[in-house]
Amino acid sequence: MTDIPQFSPGIRSAAYKDMLGRIAIPVIAVVAAFLVGLIAVMAMGVSLDRAVSAFINGAFGSAYSISASLNRSVSLALVGIGFVIAARAGLTNVGGEGQIAMGGVFATALCLAPGMAELPFGLSFVIPLVGGAIAGGVWGAIAGFLKVRAGANEVITTLLLSFIAIWLLYWSVQSENLLRQPMTSSATLPESLSIPASTQVPLLTGSYASPVTWGLPLTIVIAIAAAIILSRSVFGFNLKAIGFNPVAAARAGIAVGAGVVTALFVAGALGGLAGALMLQGEQYSLKAGFSSNYGFDGLVVGLLARNSITGVIAGALLFGFMRSGGISMEMMASVPSALVGIIQGLIVVSIAGAAYFLDRRSVR
Amino acid sequence: MSQGTTVQDVPTPAEKTEPQPLLTLSGVGKRFGEFSALSDIDIAFNAHEAHCLLGENGAGKSTLCNLVFGIHQPTAGAMQLEDASYAPANPRDAMRHGVAMVHQHFSLINELPVIDNLLIGKKFGRLNRKAEAEKIVALATEFGLDLAPFEIVGDLSVGQRQRIEIVKCLMQRPRLLILDEPTAVLLPEEINSLLDVCRRVAESGCAVVMVTHKLAEIARVADRVTVLRGGRAVAHSAEPSNDMDALVRAMISREGEAGDNRNFGVSALPPRKLAPHRGPRPEAMQIDNLSFVDEIGVKRLDSVTLTIAEGEIVGVAGVEGNGQSELGSILAGLSRATSGRWFAAGHEMTTAKPRQITAAGVGVIPEDRHLVASIGQLSLADNLQLGRMQRFARYGLIDRKDQREAASALMQLFDVRAPDSQSAFSTLSGGNQQKAVLARELTTPNLRFLLAAHPTRGLDIGAIEAVYTFIRQAADRNTGVLLISSELDELLAVADRIVVFYRGRIIGERPATSDNRDDIGSLMSGKAP
Repeated sequence: MTDIPQFSPGIRSAAYKDMLGRIAIPVIAVVAAFLVGLIAVMAMGVSLDRAVSAFINGAFGSAYSISASLNRSVSLALVGIGFVIAARAGLTNVGGEGQIAMGGVFATALCLAPGMAELPFGLSFVIPLVGGAIAGGVWGAIAGFLKVRAGANEVITTLLLSFIAIWLLYWSVQSENLLRQPMTSSATLPESLSIPASTQVPLLTGSYASPVTWGLPLTIVIAIAAAIILSRSVFGFNLKAIGFNPVAAARAGIAVGAGVVTALFVAGALGGLAGALMLQGEQYSLKAGFSSNYGFDGLVVGLLARNSITGVIAGALLFGFMRSGGISMEMMASVPSALVGIIQGLIVVSIAGAAYFLDRRSVR
Repeated sequence: MSQGTTVQDVPTPAEKTEPQPLLTLSGVGKRFGEFSALSDIDIAFNAHEAHCLLGENGAGKSTLCNLVFGIHQPTAGAMQLEDASYAPANPRDAMRHGVAMVHQHFSLINELPVIDNLLIGKKFGRLNRKAEAEKIVALATEFGLDLAPFEIVGDLSVGQRQRIEIVKCLMQRPRLLILDEPTAVLLPEEINSLLDVCRRVAESGCAVVMVTHKLAEIARVADRVTVLRGGRAVAHSAEPSNDMDALVRAMISREGEAGDNRNFGVSALPPRKLAPHRGPRPEAMQIDNLSFVDEIGVKRLDSVTLTIAEGEIVGVAGVEGNGQSELGSILAGLSRATSGRWFAAGHEMTTAKPRQITAAGVGVIPEDRHLVASIGQLSLADNLQLGRMQRFARYGLIDRKDQREAASALMQLFDVRAPDSQSAFSTLSGGNQQKAVLARELTTPNLRFLLAAHPTRGLDIGAIEAVYTFIRQAADRNTGVLLISSELDELLAVADRIVVFYRGRIIGERPATSDNRDDIGSLMSGKAP
């Protein structure tokens, strides 16, 4: 029918695959965004020297800061990998924040459950991790189910489910019947008890001077597995077929509904795991502001990665270290950490914009 | 803007003495990267004339239209519109010069009434739908187009929608009207009225350029024909009715290949005889009292009962929109019958999912190759194995080498031509895409029944022949075939018997012999015997 090369995703990704698109553009975007950030720092009248050294110290200045940055990157990477998996099936999971919250709530409940702390063989921390992942997964799968059954758009449902999850988290730390620590005075904070040591995820080095948890190697394994599953497995292929053309996929016998639900379950489960890791590896007690936006930053990481797991890792590392640097910059140099948000936003806009122009050029 | 076009009520062929070139292409060529889609095209399109572009898929017809309409820009040569040089930067530019185009794919908003679709972007301020509708209906009637301005587009047939697109073009009073394969989507009756419209538009002083595959249409409508092959104009004719044989040869001749003298399409197939079978043949498909009511409550299928034996090819004839699509969709597992049951090779499939239907040995060639049969973004190999990847899996991981080898074997078996099995499916020609779909469906494990809905639509002559050869071979191996087609000649040539659909019901059945042609034709128009 059409006898000329048409505008198609095939052409787009081919263009993006060249070195310019894959490496140079993100690098240029990041550098340019940081330059803008520096200009903003100067405009605030803060000494550049102080701001930059605070940033660098916070991000990689010590074993402790590197560890903190890596832990942040782990959360972002897990959410980002989940986003990419769902995106393969043509789904946009914007519910990371809620999935993290559900993971955190259920992990806390399991950690504090009677008898959990006494379980042998590390089960005392593995079971809450798995439980948190399942809770997040179910939260994602609900959106998948609503899409398959009622045709509800998953962008809306995952977002709204996020709000529900965040308020469930609030409720659970506000009510003594749920997870709130016993109220001994009116000053008792609305948070859970600290989880027992045996339910905490062990540190890689064993020392609180460099508090990287076993979440890091776990995430690396998950990333590799996800990359292999997406590129080489039947499941990954089916997701891709569903994403491109669900009608043709269904006609060819691929279980589209199951694929959609599974993809959102996996995405949610990775969010839930991120939540469980944040609780069991870092915070040790559940608070209202538990997730502090990792869900949405992870979504941005996933978006920027443009369907590549490697891209997720790079983005997660960048954003994780930037977050640490930003917090330190705020404390040491009184530069608002919102600046980091601005820089992140600039990176997103420039990469997305550059990709758009590249795609257009290649179609010509 | 358009020159005051006046309608000549009684144009006679004698009037066209001196053709006035409206648009002249000299040495026009178009390359897409390495690929040369068109080269050295010299054509003049004249006012008052209908000019047909004939050629197989990939011959460059659509590209030529796209150049004239400003969708693409030529990489060589020049165009001249009357006395001025013409180089449209985009379609809007082309329209400003009085060039309009009716595309194969419509751009209509289904939820809105016809009149709104026609007026979008053309009116500002207060909208007097009634007055505008009167004007538009008057314009449409002038060209013999029947238009119901207040119907919702989504409720209309494809033919009616195409009419809206044509009216949309005519509202600009174009000097040159391009129609890209306008009849590919139409029924036989609709085709005739479309061709009449083309004639009238030409006679009103416009130059009409029409892309087509079908020779019968050329004889009816064309003043001039240019045959394209491999991006070159290989033949011109100013008297197409007399040059028909030469045109066919120019279009399909393949140097050094036998069959230069063959006729086109199905008439090249040897006559079919149902192989003799002792006793009653086992049933491949049994459709029992099937009805389907669509979401707006219209009964699309009305108590259809039909049995197809193994090895038998049953053709479904009928004007499009009489329930054939719905039947196809149900048998493909994409929609569910409202009442009634159906069985494939003895297994009840009434509520089965596509996967279960495939597992029962049913192959499906859906009506819509792009939307239902294939995934353009995936590779040819992936499309050949869609839904069957499990076959190449070791521990859930696909063995790509295995898969590639299987794909190459299928490509060879079904003559699918592509640079290699990893080519993106969307880059293949229509014929090769359809052969790939056939390759997949005909190799369905334990194939007992094949549903083929319009399997040759939009294909060139060589591919049509290949498709029907494969379908017949399947029947020879005892597969029951239900063939839905709007081409009666194809049904007569390929099927054993023909059932005729009218308003969702089977209103008659005839053996597929050419002496039943007229009889079937009158059944199609609803005249029960």
